[in-house]
Amino acid sequence: MKVELYNYIRAAQKMNRRQVLKGSAALGAAAMMPKTSLADGHGNIRAEILKIPGVGAGSPTDSDWQKVGEMCLGATKENVSEGEFAGVELTFMGLNNQNLHNFLFRGFLKPWEAYTGAKINWIDLAQADYNARLQQSIATGTVDFDIIEMGAPFEGDVLGKGLASEMPDWVKEQIDMDDYVDYLKAPVGTWDGKTYRVSIDGDCHTFAYRKDYFGADGIGGAEVPTTWQEINQVSKDLVGKEDPLTGLPAHGYLDPLKGWGGFGFYFLENRASAYAKHPNSPAWLFEPETMKPMVNNPAWVQAIQDVMDLIEAGAYPTDQINADPGTTAFQQFLAGTGSMLMWWGDVGSSARTSDTSVVGDVVGFGVNPASDRVYNAQSGAWEDTRNEAPNMAYIGWGVYVMATVEGDEKKKKAAWSAAAHLGGKDLSLWASAYPSGFQPYRNSHFQFEEWEEAGYDRAYVEDYLGSNADSYNHPNAAIEPRIPGIFQYYSVAEDELAKGYAGQYGSAQETADAIAAAWEKITDQIGRDNQITVYKASLGL
Amino acid sequence: MSTEGDLLHTVTADTISDGRRRLGKVMVWSSALLVAVLAFWQMAFETGRVGSGFDTWRPVLYAYVLWAFALCAAQVIVNGEKGKRTLFVLPAALFVISLVVFPLLFALYISFTDWNLASPAGPQPNGWDNMREMWKDGFYWNALKNMVYYVLAVSAEYVIAFGLALLLNAQIRARKFFRVVFLLPLMLSPVAVSWMIGKSMLEVRFGPISRVIRELGGEPSFFGSPEIARFMIMAMDAWTFIPFMMIMLLAGLQALPKEVLEASKVDGASGWQSFKEVIFPLMLPVSVTAIVIRVIFKLKLADIIINVTSGGPGGATDSVTSFIFREYRDRSNVGYGTLLAMVYLVLIIIFVTLLLKLVSRWMERPA
Repeated sequence: MKVELYNYIRAAQKMNRRQVLKGSAALGAAAMMPKTSLADGHGNIRAEILKIPGVGAGSPTDSDWQKVGEMCLGATKENVSEGEFAGVELTFMGLNNQNLHNFLFRGFLKPWEAYTGAKINWIDLAQADYNARLQQSIATGTVDFDIIEMGAPFEGDVLGKGLASEMPDWVKEQIDMDDYVDYLKAPVGTWDGKTYRVSIDGDCHTFAYRKDYFGADGIGGAEVPTTWQEINQVSKDLVGKEDPLTGLPAHGYLDPLKGWGGFGFYFLENRASAYAKHPNSPAWLFEPETMKPMVNNPAWVQAIQDVMDLIEAGAYPTDQINADPGTTAFQQFLAGTGSMLMWWGDVGSSARTSDTSVVGDVVGFGVNPASDRVYNAQSGAWEDTRNEAPNMAYIGWGVYVMATVEGDEKKKKAAWSAAAHLGGKDLSLWASAYPSGFQPYRNSHFQFEEWEEAGYDRAYVEDYLGSNADSYNHPNAAIEPRIPGIFQYYSVAEDELAKGYAGQYGSAQETADAIAAAWEKITDQIGRDNQITVYKASLGL
Repeated sequence: MSTEGDLLHTVTADTISDGRRRLGKVMVWSSALLVAVLAFWQMAFETGRVGSGFDTWRPVLYAYVLWAFALCAAQVIVNGEKGKRTLFVLPAALFVISLVVFPLLFALYISFTDWNLASPAGPQPNGWDNMREMWKDGFYWNALKNMVYYVLAVSAEYVIAFGLALLLNAQIRARKFFRVVFLLPLMLSPVAVSWMIGKSMLEVRFGPISRVIRELGGEPSFFGSPEIARFMIMAMDAWTFIPFMMIMLLAGLQALPKEVLEASKVDGASGWQSFKEVIFPLMLPVSVTAIVIRVIFKLKLADIIINVTSGGPGGATDSVTSFIFREYRDRSNVGYGTLLAMVYLVLIIIFVTLLLKLVSRWMERPA
């Protein structure tokens, strides 16, 4: 669970002393039980680990992580005997964001190390250094780590180059991959039909809106918009009105118009996915046979045109041209400017916990808005059918074992056992319920009664996490291509979009054509044939 | 003992045998040959011309280190005591060559390849393709054009800095306090400045400056139009670095000969006349140094732009460095990014050389 989300739930659900005491008493009783009784029922473990340290009992610490790691060792013990990996040394490369990620992994894996006899060395990286470090390791042939925490967009760079080790069947069984939400199942995590990824996280953009703008007396209309066409109309209609909360000018949807190191392109994708992601094909950014960009087809041009129309109509706040996604979320939406936004989970979780947020009581959630019509790239024509395609922006973190362990069976088994431990079904429930940097990503994470029993507020969990679950399992989810250099494409698109939004190109089509031309150059530079192969593999074609 | 040559700096004059001389030369040339052979062999291996070679270039590096040691040792073997004097400088010179010249040559090589870190093929020489690409690259030329504006802004900074230096040089109250206060911006990192000012004080909704403008009935917008956004970047950069020019000019003012100033007063010169005819001409050398150093700083302008505008709106605030940063970090386009940097380096060298030449010609002109 993202830290902000955890804090939000705690703040939102008015935890009383009695509930805290109930949790503590249960934990105390569990601690007095003999060890065997802790492991006698699978359901028990899930309930017990959710009480460490207990909702409302402060943020978990290293001893909590170790306790959880210890209690979730059951699955490891079924496949590995005690001391089996004595003498094995592994190197793990991951992040140190917010003192989470690797910090948790250390705690989780400490009991695993004690049981198996293996030793893990750690490489901690800041998020900003991650891409450069990974790319340089790959490009210079200096992969000095055996296990890596990595986002799915980089699979093209790593799996596409044969740098990872294929997941053995026993790992698939141990981590129960069938439990993953739909979009994290193959082809995500796989390459050429082989599985490589132990998922530990899920990502998607969800729709956040201001409830006080909508309803019987709402200035935005009676109903919350559910399509981009409605959103655009509401945004234009709100020009000149007054925000009911702040008294400042009212605004509709907040598009970030400035780049964000490539990540800003996800926000144009939010609009474009409804127009461009036709249910008849997983491809919506490139044509799979040629890698010809689809970014200048009528669907994408419509998305760009929408933004240009809103700029023209004066629907955005002042200086929106200099607003990146961080600004739209944290300095605008949460601070009471604008009424609609697409973002990751952080916005929902910060709404009440952030000191600068004023919208905590009036925020609602939903899935990525739909479109009244969808462009069918195969027939080259618009179809007047409603289309919904939630954007699975970034796809979430996973744990991968590198090919450096191949040739040493003991080391390979040890690396996979460690990865499987971190991606275990029970351990992941705990990680999704407490601050960890990860969101829920298994169907079993959405058994709301487990959360309720652990002391969470059911209404909140259903409202907020429900929008995530609906997006994850959507049959027409828009998944980004896991090809080498995907962020290069996004980054150059941001530069061209910035020119388009600043009026330096004649039209949306011209802007889209400039992006397509830049993408063609990148494809040629990286190697078109290889990109086609890798792209098709990533789409499972 | 020899009685000829440099006797002043020679402790002992050795008699060095021909055999010893030969040994020294053999050491140097044989180790140099080893470096050359290994380098060519490895290059042939990497380009697929020979079947066997090393996994890495490390053996060539070791051979280079061996040659460096041999070269140092040979100085003593061949030249005796005189060679020991060379040894005081030679290792440092070799160190500099290793850390400056080699990387520069490597960068030159990289800039003529199509190296994209995501490409499985690695760096492949692509002739003049990167140069042609640069020629057609609107973003690069736009950034260069912006650099002209940014550099021209130095003249305004100079005027302000000179004014402040004159003020702080005058007999004013709390002079020491003001000197420290005026220096504070220079002590801040440009990244801090971009967050504190660009993203906080100038924030359109909450920023105090925005609030004041709104209170006065205006509608604040600092980065909405190209011209204002560029001006705001110039202003933030100027705020950070004017103290630097100011402190240099202040040092110059304090070093001015008092007699000349007093003489001008005795001759009845007014304040303005004294400044125009005496202070300003005397301050020219310091001024030129301050301006040239400031221009060099300005040519590296990037951090504020990256943090505040990312080059926008539509490239209006992009500097060459901030564009290369995006090309290199966000797009892993190492070959092209390096070429852009090398071309920029050459342009800077030409520009600064011409600037110095012009200035020296102008300053030599009789008054």
